[in-house]
Amino acid sequence: MAETVRYLASRLVTTFIIVFGAMLLLFTLSAIVPGDPASALLGPQATPEYRARFITEMGLDQPLLVRFWRFFSNLLSGNLGTDVLSGKPVAQIVGAVLPSTFILTFSAIGLAVLIGVPLGCFAAIRRGSLFDHILAFISVAFIAIPNFVIAIFLLLIFSIWLNWLPVLGTGKSGDFLDQAQRLILPTLALALGWIGFIARLVRTSMLEVLGENYIRTSRAYGLSESLITYKYALKNACIPTIAILGMGIGRLLGGAVLVEIVFSRPGLGRLIFDAISTRNYPVLQGAVFVVVLIFVITNLVVDLSYSAIDPRIRRQAGREAMPR
Amino acid sequence: MTIDFSRTAGFSRTAGFSRRELLAGTSALGLAGLVGASQQASAQAKTSLSVRIERDLGSLDPAFRTGPQDANVFRSVYQRLMSYKTGSAEIELDAASEVKQVSPTQIDFTLKPNQMFTDGFGEMTAEDVKFSFERFFLKTVDGKESPYKADWAGLTGVEVTGKYTGKIMLSKPNAGLFAIALVDGSGSIVSQKAIAARGAEHSTRPVGSGPYQVVSVEKQRGATLKRNPAYSGPAPAYEEINVRFIQDPKTAELALRAGELDFAVLPPAIAEPLKNAPGVSVEAHPGLAYLWLGINMEKPPFNDIRVRQAIRLALDVDQMLLAGFNGRAPRLNALIPPPINGHWADAPVYKRNVAEAKALLAAAGQTSIKTRITVLNQPTFQSMALVAQAMLKEVGIDAAVDVQEGGAFWKVGEGEAGKNVEMFMMRFNGKLDPSFLMQWFVKGQIGIYNWQRFDNPEYEKLAADAIVELDPVKRAAIAIKAQQVMDQSAAFVWLTNDVAFAARRSNVKPAFLPGAIDWQLDRFSVVSS
Repeated sequence: MAETVRYLASRLVTTFIIVFGAMLLLFTLSAIVPGDPASALLGPQATPEYRARFITEMGLDQPLLVRFWRFFSNLLSGNLGTDVLSGKPVAQIVGAVLPSTFILTFSAIGLAVLIGVPLGCFAAIRRGSLFDHILAFISVAFIAIPNFVIAIFLLLIFSIWLNWLPVLGTGKSGDFLDQAQRLILPTLALALGWIGFIARLVRTSMLEVLGENYIRTSRAYGLSESLITYKYALKNACIPTIAILGMGIGRLLGGAVLVEIVFSRPGLGRLIFDAISTRNYPVLQGAVFVVVLIFVITNLVVDLSYSAIDPRIRRQAGREAMPR
Repeated sequence: MTIDFSRTAGFSRTAGFSRRELLAGTSALGLAGLVGASQQASAQAKTSLSVRIERDLGSLDPAFRTGPQDANVFRSVYQRLMSYKTGSAEIELDAASEVKQVSPTQIDFTLKPNQMFTDGFGEMTAEDVKFSFERFFLKTVDGKESPYKADWAGLTGVEVTGKYTGKIMLSKPNAGLFAIALVDGSGSIVSQKAIAARGAEHSTRPVGSGPYQVVSVEKQRGATLKRNPAYSGPAPAYEEINVRFIQDPKTAELALRAGELDFAVLPPAIAEPLKNAPGVSVEAHPGLAYLWLGINMEKPPFNDIRVRQAIRLALDVDQMLLAGFNGRAPRLNALIPPPINGHWADAPVYKRNVAEAKALLAAAGQTSIKTRITVLNQPTFQSMALVAQAMLKEVGIDAAVDVQEGGAFWKVGEGEAGKNVEMFMMRFNGKLDPSFLMQWFVKGQIGIYNWQRFDNPEYEKLAADAIVELDPVKRAAIAIKAQQVMDQSAAFVWLTNDVAFAARRSNVKPAFLPGAIDWQLDRFSVVSS
């Protein structure tokens, strides 16, 4: 128990350092990158006085460290800042797009796991078979093709030629059926690459695990092949996959921007992209902070989950956290 | 387990299903259900309109709008004293029963009675007109100054003389007031009470008295408008309008093909293939924007007029337009394009002349110039810049193409940094008034938007005269003279007034002002088959 608490404490400290470091990097980059939010956001008719005031309201006339300090001191009171242009709290702006991002990210990763894991297992069991070769080919193709290209093709096939599924947006709020329809293609576009990736990863891990002594021993005890494969081998083979899923969720939270653009869906990725384009720094900082935070929390949960799957990892982690 | 699907889902057999088969079957049924629902939805009777905006909505408060996309929405939400007729530059009465220019500095108006603001904010009065106009120029709103302050230049105040009557008072004549302010976004009449009650929230929950009311505005999604039953004018054709923010033009194209979108203005490369799509129509409309290649007149060697003239002669504008617009955009030979008063029809059409360009450079003592053309990171500009680069090379000018993304590009010509600009390509949106187009090239705009650093006292006077001259014929003469002065400077290589490809479902008739930048969503109508 004490080991677990120590481990958790050390991870929380690491989490804080990562968030702090990422935000410091973002603030530094914001200061270096050329471009002027007043020009980008206010348009050509704004007077020089108003532009100057706008810069002041954004806090961009302050030194970098002062802006950084203000950001974190505001955070302590739960304030992500204010979008100077709309006057809205950044938390409200981020909150408005967050559900769409979550739904898309978890649908895509969920689908990838649902399909990728069984495919990987099957390929490992049938190693060297025709199925294994075909799967290898398809997996590499899905991994290699950018997801926005897949997105365009899915739209052409399912929305234009077959006229089965809608093209745009997230659907009407409260209309589950409409929202589900509009989730299918973007989920597929994001998931296909991950399906290939997970299938390859699971296959490799399974092959490694299937060669372990305890598997051989299980066979010697006469346990059924399916029990050995799906209960004993898969559990351990999944650990690297779970680690990758944590990374995947983090990447998709802010990185699904092209798919969001193609399907015209709101999302954190697009919010960050637009904020960079217009140099809307308060929105950029708030949105990136949320992405970083979710990313480290997801990875923390992932770390904890695979230490739960394999007690050896928990014990090792506990020892590492102890003072030497 | 045995399940008979034959009566419910078109299966022709009764079979035994394993758990796995059942799961697969129900998933397929679920998917089929979703797909079927999609087809049903698209087959329903059309009472709503779906249009694309290419930039996200910023603010539906007229004084703080962030671009044409905002104005295209709120133009149907607020009334103005007067508005443009459908698809025309002609003006008609809107909220006013009478508008009279009684002197160059005084405009009297009388409102129609019983024009009600939505959400219970009462009847529109002259006090609302006063509040709406003065907040642009004379007052700040929560300490903020309207970025559109210049639209109301010269306004000294609005005097309220009765419940429905008032006088717009100016310190000096403003010939552009009608086109730029009164009938455009800056002439929108808001409810004083609603602004006080809703504060900043009014920018996303606006209260108007126009044909539509805003139901919702969502970040990155767009807005939904519903017909305003209390609107005193003719009812618009559609019950609901979905204004959708679709960043990617390719997505907009696919949505048009699929029938999910009814109207979009698209770039030429996307729009042209749509002409053959069933159920879709595409029309090209000459734009009101103006694109040009500018040259910094202050920076050597471009401070020598012979170098600038050589550049103008080295370039083949038609070839550049072929690269940038598939040759579909009309060529522009001076600042003001045809539908606007002051268009210089006899402006010189410069033809490429390599020999003369080289001779001019030699006379200027410049046989080898290294320079750069700064452009936005948009395919149109990049393509035109590459063609210009190749043509300049032939006369001994080695021009690098300096591609900048939006945030950095607009900073390039500002302040002291603007002194280092060499050549650039620029695009400004226009309005149906010559002074609006001329305003960016005065001395006061140097270091802001006058990247040529064009400083000419004669132009300065002409630009000032054009603002106060109320006689359209005399005003046109002033504007033409101003363009001649610009032409003599050789700091401007005019390219095009742009072209707008309006793509629509064939059963929708759109309505917009010349140039297709400013839409009249409340005038869109159904084309009966």
